[in-house]
Amino acid sequence: MADKLPSEFDVVVIGTGLPESIIAAACSRSGQSVLHVDSRSYYGGNWASFSFSGLLSWIKEYQEENNGEEWTAWQELILETEEGVALRKKDQTIQHVEVICYASQDSDEHVEEVGAVQKNPGSVTSASTNDPPDSMVTACSDTSELTTPLSEPEAAREVPDVDVTLGNENHGGDTDCSQSPLEQEKAGNLPVGEDVVDAPKKNRITYSQIVKEGRRFNIDLTSKLLYSRGLLIDLLIKSNVSRYAEFKNVTRILGYQEGNVLQVPCSRADVFNSKKLTMVEKRMLMKFLTFCLDYEQQPDEYKAYEECTFSEYLKTQKLTPNLQHFVLHSIAMTSEESTSTLDGLRETQNFLRCLGRYGNTPFLFPLYGQGELPQCFCRMCAVFGGTYCLSHAVQCLVVDKESGKCKAIIDHFGQRISAKYFIVEDSYLTEKTCSNVTYRQISRAVLITDQSVLKADSDQQISILTVPPVEPGSEAVRVVELCSSTMTCMKGTYLVHLTCPSSKKTAREDLESVVQKLFTPYAEAELENEELKKPNLLWALYFNMRDSSDISRECYNDLPSNVYVCCGPDGFLGNKNAVKQTGMYSCSMSSFWNSALPCAYKPTSGTTSSPKPSLILIFLLKFSQNTLDPSDTLLRNVFSRVLDLNSLSSATEMLWLFPPYLFSQGQHNSLHNRCLIKNC
Amino acid sequence: MSMEDYDFLFKIVLIGNAGVGKTCLVRRFTQGLFPPGQGATIGVDFMIKTVEINGEKVKLQIWDTAGQERFRSITQSYYRSANALILTYDITCEESFRCLPEWLREIEQYASNKVITVLVGNKIDLAERREVSQQRAEEFSEAQDMYYLETSAKESDNVEKLFLDLACRLISEARQNTLVNNVASPLPGEGKSISYLTCCNFN
Repeated sequence: MADKLPSEFDVVVIGTGLPESIIAAACSRSGQSVLHVDSRSYYGGNWASFSFSGLLSWIKEYQEENNGEEWTAWQELILETEEGVALRKKDQTIQHVEVICYASQDSDEHVEEVGAVQKNPGSVTSASTNDPPDSMVTACSDTSELTTPLSEPEAAREVPDVDVTLGNENHGGDTDCSQSPLEQEKAGNLPVGEDVVDAPKKNRITYSQIVKEGRRFNIDLTSKLLYSRGLLIDLLIKSNVSRYAEFKNVTRILGYQEGNVLQVPCSRADVFNSKKLTMVEKRMLMKFLTFCLDYEQQPDEYKAYEECTFSEYLKTQKLTPNLQHFVLHSIAMTSEESTSTLDGLRETQNFLRCLGRYGNTPFLFPLYGQGELPQCFCRMCAVFGGTYCLSHAVQCLVVDKESGKCKAIIDHFGQRISAKYFIVEDSYLTEKTCSNVTYRQISRAVLITDQSVLKADSDQQISILTVPPVEPGSEAVRVVELCSSTMTCMKGTYLVHLTCPSSKKTAREDLESVVQKLFTPYAEAELENEELKKPNLLWALYFNMRDSSDISRECYNDLPSNVYVCCGPDGFLGNKNAVKQTGMYSCSMSSFWNSALPCAYKPTSGTTSSPKPSLILIFLLKFSQNTLDPSDTLLRNVFSRVLDLNSLSSATEMLWLFPPYLFSQGQHNSLHNRCLIKNC
Repeated sequence: MSMEDYDFLFKIVLIGNAGVGKTCLVRRFTQGLFPPGQGATIGVDFMIKTVEINGEKVKLQIWDTAGQERFRSITQSYYRSANALILTYDITCEESFRCLPEWLREIEQYASNKVITVLVGNKIDLAERREVSQQRAEEFSEAQDMYYLETSAKESDNVEKLFLDLACRLISEARQNTLVNNVASPLPGEGKSISYLTCCNFN
């Protein structure tokens, strides 16, 4: 690494989690020079996604003894008029990491034989990953052996997509799951007429196959989904960061009732098509959901129940217990005991409003995993000049004694880098800084399984399932099941994420009972009846993650006023907290941001009429495609008037839509490809 | 997608050490420009150029590193769904050639395994300062099974050829896949991109 970091920036951001990345992008986009560093060698912190081998190294790191070391060398580099706030050397947000491998760990080179005879897998259950990833790569068969034929000829192109154990489930009718080029390419790669065509479907996935196909996995540390009308989606679109990522709709909302997994009807079409509901139930549900959609308009309906919990309120509505259960757990996704009627109604409304924007459920999932999102914001930051440096630790913040403000950081090379503002992710702060903070914990499990929890016509389903609390006082467990077309797991497997707020000591204690309800450990699978079989568990990881959301600034000791702390991921399904926080910070930094927008708010004299929306669209489209012709006076006119539009009222919105160099000429002369104003 | 005015769309991604001329290659090709004395890349996300090859419109979406290569911190998502990679080094800079194996490792880790990789030795206009011989580069690219070309973004040598040849190879690759899969449009990625447009709703 020949290059040395510049020693002066406007903003230094430490940590590449989602909130930090959003702020970095926003600052960079508003014309500030940004240094974004992370002591880890990967992007995203606790928001990251890993390949299988990447996850194994991550596990190894956290299974090691960890005593919260701090940096000390900086003390010699501090002047008398300064004070240092040390940062943490090693992350301590992950605890109780446990790995259990259920899949056969034989390094058998003859996977194709497994299909013919039902071989005893000789499963080994161990409490740790006893094999380093590299040593496992050798013994495995071609990927094509994981595929299974279809009898229907018209389904031929689906072949590489077919799940091993669900072969008989496939009717080739799942046209909604189109193939990615990646899979097309793989298909093109398959030797034609290979004996795959005759291979029986009972193929077992072994541990070595998982390791060999490890690159196909993108395993999220934090399991979240995007509400299709949520803040994050809005931000992605506004900022144009959405062009760096692709999304898939969650295909099913599932519920868990009396030991069975059921699909929850939530859209109008679902309700009417549901075979589980009676005609009367359908009407009741539709009536209730329609009411929820604009419940504020009919306060009489719920006023009397404002003091009650949502579950009690539901009982007073004309809903069967069945429907109450669905609404409470799967639609509102709220707690039976503690959620108020108003909160429940709001959640239900939010859910319903998000329906149908991009598909039949309210949720989207980013292809290649949640970990893509921080990276996309980081790219946006880099495109606008942000400097990126991974594996770059920061020893301390340097605080000026007189002003009480932070003025610089000292990095692991001892280099001093000064800035005006500092964004630090919570996990970088030491115990000394956080001694008054009480953190909650999130319990997480990551499972690799061989079938969906609810079989359907298509094996490419993305499902969310809420398992209600087993005993009073414990927490509901959120289960997100991802199929291979989300690019997060290898073909023939499913990646299952379980999340709940921690109540017992370890994640395993919190979640294992739910895992046992839904899945069968691989070794026992042989004994069970084929028809009633639950999905086999191939591999499981449990860990606890610190939840640093919702911590008030005052809780941190000795925090200089120009240092902002970003929280790690919370336990909720959406990303509201993360995005809200960035909005808050941008407000408190707004004087600083808006300096980049001096002419943005100058009213254009004499123009009263607003431009036509269609022209604005053309403008935005051309702008986003870099095809705006600077000599196009009509569009330029539109542009100047767009600034008057009511719809673009807040400064932050403006910021996202138009990078400030459009307003301040000369500052970014190298920005050739969008030189709108410069040439005017 | 049938409404779009092209037959093929490919995502091409540039990588290589800082200062080897990646941005210049793209700008020469897409805009016919060579900006002298350009510093580190700022503000270039990707550029689009539509070319016609044998009567077919091919839209090339060419992505630049946005300067993240400077401290070896390119995001993985940069490599996602790329159809081709242009791995660039500077023929007057031994160091940029020595780093190639490191780049290949990154490609192997993050890019699709079917991605087409082209090795490009840039700055042949500075032949008198050459540090990496053509033969060495040829041997290296052969060993790695890569297509190899030397270019000059400044003199516009081989730049057109680089992108057009690549487009041709991408087309024939896409054709092959289409034949096997019977799928019409080779689009990068299969997920949907999100926008404000919306159709149906709950009501």
